[in-house]
Amino acid sequence: MAEPAALSTRASAKKPRITLRRRNSLLGYALVAPIILCLLVLVVYPFIFGVAISFTDREVGTEGNFIGLANFIYLSKVPSFQKSIINTIVLVFWVQLLKLVLGLSIAILLNQAIRGRKLWRGMVLLPWAMPAFVAYLTWQLLYAPQGGAFNLISVGLGFGKIDFLSKDLAMPSVIFATFWRGFPFWVISFLAALQSVSQELYEAAAIDGANAWQRFRHITIPAILPVVLVVVLLSTIWTTNGFENVWLITQGGPSDATMTFPVLAYFGMQTMRIGEAAAVSVTLLPIFAIMAFVGVKVLERD
Amino acid sequence: MQVRQRSENARRRMRWLAMPMVAALLLAACATAPPAAPAAPAATSAPAATEAPAATAAPTADAAAAPTNTPIPPAPTPAPGRFTYWGGLIFSDVANKMLEDRIKQWGKEKGVEVDVVMINQNETVAKVSAAVESGAMPDALDMGTGLMQTLSKNGQLEPLDDIFKKIGDDNGGWLDSAAASVDPKVYGGNIWGIPFGLSGNLINRRDDLLSAKGFTEAPKTWEELGKMAEAVNDPPKVFGMGFALSNVGDGNLMQTIMQTYGGRIADDEGKNCTIDSPETRTFLEWVTGLYKKGLFPPGATTWDGAGDNKAFQAGEAAFIANPGSVYLNLRENDPDLLAASKFSGLPAGPKMTLQPYGPNVRAIPVKSDKKELAKDLLAYLADPEFMQQYYANAIYGPVLKNQLGFAVFKDSVIHVGLLDMAQNGTAPAFPDVNNPAFNEFTSNFPIPKMIQRVVVDNLSIDDAVKETQAACQLIYDKYK
Amino acid sequence: MLNKLTAGQKIFAYACLLLLAIVIVFPIYYMVTVSLKLPRDIYRVPSLLPVNPTLKNYTDLITKQDFLLNIRNSLIVATAATVVSVFISTLAAYSLTRLQYRGRSWVGRLILFSYLTPAALLFIPLAVIINRLQLGNTLHGLIFTYLTFAAPLSTWLLMGFFRGVPVDLEEAAMVDGATRLVSLFRILLPVIAPGIVAVSVFTFTGAWNELLLAMIFITSKDLRTIPVALQYLITGDVFRWGLIMAGAVMAAVPIMLLYYLSQRFVVAGIGAGAVKT
Repeated sequence: MAEPAALSTRASAKKPRITLRRRNSLLGYALVAPIILCLLVLVVYPFIFGVAISFTDREVGTEGNFIGLANFIYLSKVPSFQKSIINTIVLVFWVQLLKLVLGLSIAILLNQAIRGRKLWRGMVLLPWAMPAFVAYLTWQLLYAPQGGAFNLISVGLGFGKIDFLSKDLAMPSVIFATFWRGFPFWVISFLAALQSVSQELYEAAAIDGANAWQRFRHITIPAILPVVLVVVLLSTIWTTNGFENVWLITQGGPSDATMTFPVLAYFGMQTMRIGEAAAVSVTLLPIFAIMAFVGVKVLERD
Repeated sequence: MQVRQRSENARRRMRWLAMPMVAALLLAACATAPPAAPAAPAATSAPAATEAPAATAAPTADAAAAPTNTPIPPAPTPAPGRFTYWGGLIFSDVANKMLEDRIKQWGKEKGVEVDVVMINQNETVAKVSAAVESGAMPDALDMGTGLMQTLSKNGQLEPLDDIFKKIGDDNGGWLDSAAASVDPKVYGGNIWGIPFGLSGNLINRRDDLLSAKGFTEAPKTWEELGKMAEAVNDPPKVFGMGFALSNVGDGNLMQTIMQTYGGRIADDEGKNCTIDSPETRTFLEWVTGLYKKGLFPPGATTWDGAGDNKAFQAGEAAFIANPGSVYLNLRENDPDLLAASKFSGLPAGPKMTLQPYGPNVRAIPVKSDKKELAKDLLAYLADPEFMQQYYANAIYGPVLKNQLGFAVFKDSVIHVGLLDMAQNGTAPAFPDVNNPAFNEFTSNFPIPKMIQRVVVDNLSIDDAVKETQAACQLIYDKYK
Repeated sequence: MLNKLTAGQKIFAYACLLLLAIVIVFPIYYMVTVSLKLPRDIYRVPSLLPVNPTLKNYTDLITKQDFLLNIRNSLIVATAATVVSVFISTLAAYSLTRLQYRGRSWVGRLILFSYLTPAALLFIPLAVIINRLQLGNTLHGLIFTYLTFAAPLSTWLLMGFFRGVPVDLEEAAMVDGATRLVSLFRILLPVIAPGIVAVSVFTFTGAWNELLLAMIFITSKDLRTIPVALQYLITGDVFRWGLIMAGAVMAAVPIMLLYYLSQRFVVAGIGAGAVKT
């Protein structure tokens, strides 16, 4: 234990004998310095700016005046805003649940001794390998009630036409497309985590007579848990901020059935009222902060 | 265990020290942001350096060459002497190229180094927002009057009254429609943009299908259009009404139709919303009635901007409203369907005929240090010979009187319609007051949403109208 | 987990894979189909099979739209962003999981919180900064801004991987006299190689496909990246579907190749890690 006294003698010493601990902490700062610098310039300042203008009536080209909570009060009265709260939660919840369950299953599947493993793994990456907006445009083509691929199939099979973008189906359709585009990230993270689990642990456990489930429960899960938690946390933020999925498939319609925060913020940007548009994004921050707080707590538990 | 204890101890002791340190770092980074320039990018440029020079070489070479032949006084902009123009990218590659070449030609004549970039119009707002805020606006650019209204209101544009007058005088005078579209009375006392083309929707109809049912003429009224659509409706092969009811620009045609029915967004002062009226209800009953008869293609409530194009080009819509891109596309890719199509102006409503034109203007940002040059360019671009060739490839109606005689306005069916619009059309927003509140209202697509509420959510006409009225007032109240 | 599977498990596994393949590949197949169609057929003949298949979209994209230039730009940006981001993130993740110093947890939190900010909120102030740094309309500027999303993501993921590795591994090495940095590069990196590869693939892919920031910061035509170039094929209400899809297919190829090649290193990484332990 380093005491304050020790610290002061060290600081005043002419030729400090650098202890291992001190060297470690200096090294620690040195190693995080680059990323911290980048983030301060690229994120922290823009972030403070963004939060600050959400309390103003700033428009593009004006300084704006401080108007307190007026933007937030206005937003709370906009019917689309209220719907977008529920829609955003529903969308993110289902997309993330699908990704977690199926992503983990697929990763475990692809970690087995299967034929052509490399090719299967490559295939999983496909949805992620092209620009998101093209992927979502494709889904729009697939879902289209007139001439869309799914309807060609459904009519061909004798099920008749299905309007995938109708009031009741629009949200599930968007959820599935979002899942399709996003799950490779999960599979690959999980796969990488699974692969860094030491084989010897499994072998040792097998010798001790642990069955497959026990090995999964007591070796795999604890080993990959840190990565799983991080992926869930990061991807949730990501999905919540996603704009292209909804915008390109439904524009938030029909009748706000798929209206989400980012789409609303986009509408705000179109009139260049950047204070108000920022307020839409800022509304999300407390939710993110809670998520991040929980995530940090869980991760720092070990 | 031991490690953890140690760290907790240290954390507890040093928290008060850590906070100021972080704050200091933060301050340092923010305060020194501009001078820190070489430091920050240095970290990133090193790995890129191996490949990057190729990319950056071209601009630097040009910049080095620039000072030798530029008579312009050096300006404190990144590339002194260079003149940048942001043109609006349109569908015709030929027209885009023509504008680019013309501006470069001007640069050569004036001895100015010119950068012309064609900007995708779908992204103009985001791009201009960032450029205004970061001081990276070009010396002149193309835009619509909505953006012109916002930017001029916030003091970001240069008044162009003098050059507007000069261009008018040189070219036989401005058409009333073009002059009205930049009317100083609407836009706070000055002219902020030089119109160079009017766009607007024309009705595209499937003449082959309609003639077979005895409808050889274009519909005179919306009511009649609805009846014709019903007659040829044959789902799922053909839908009568290929009009968007979704949250996109095309959906706002419904707002125009509502106005022809006598419905109004706001009062004559442009202060209070007046959507809740018998006229609005009549309109809403008409359009939702047609929807319930199955005249709109499924998906019309979620279409993107290309939904109606797609439907028509797939041969699945009898009527659509389109600014001419479908015509161009058919001319290029599907002559059969083009031969089966006819084009006409928007029909009349019970109260009035509206054929709104959307003016496209060129504007000069107030921050430009080459305003006189920019004005010279705008006059140069209005040259009739150039415009004659340009209009032949771009789908725009004329703005100046000496353009009325251009061959293209007689030869091309679409241009004939656009000429008619330029002469007899109505100003944007008319009969409503064209102000920022109206602008914001429109950009949120509440009228198509009102229709969605009835046809998607089965809301009653009455409730939908009241809800839209309330949403509208909320927006207008912000501008009081 | 790499056990021999029973026959029943095998059938189940392959059945799942087949289903997965259909779900993944069908949309991609449809894209390819559209990319092989002529504009007229895309609208007039909606079909699951290509009608009058042609490579015209691909040749047009390369000869008329200068698509190779866009590919080159994306390559430069994505490679540089990946190298820089993975490098600084590895150092940071190591520091945050293996070294003790005051303020450490705050640094970790700052990195996470910086990931929370929606791009829609960031892009205007970011544009201001980039222009002040004289990096507007340059690939350097784009690379720099991509660190906003790449670095926090990489750091946090790598922290997860570092945490998964028992500390005794390096402590054993340090007892042998290796310094911390040496132990990082010699002992730890090989063990977390799968993580590094995964993070690199994510960063590269993210930068390769990023649209919003590229669209706002890049103006010149010859500096546009792939997504921006494809976005420019949508003018107003006209979508050049054939070209867009051809471009998407071409954009996906390098990513697939990258991943296919990098898998080897993942396996090698495990091997190396196992030998060391």
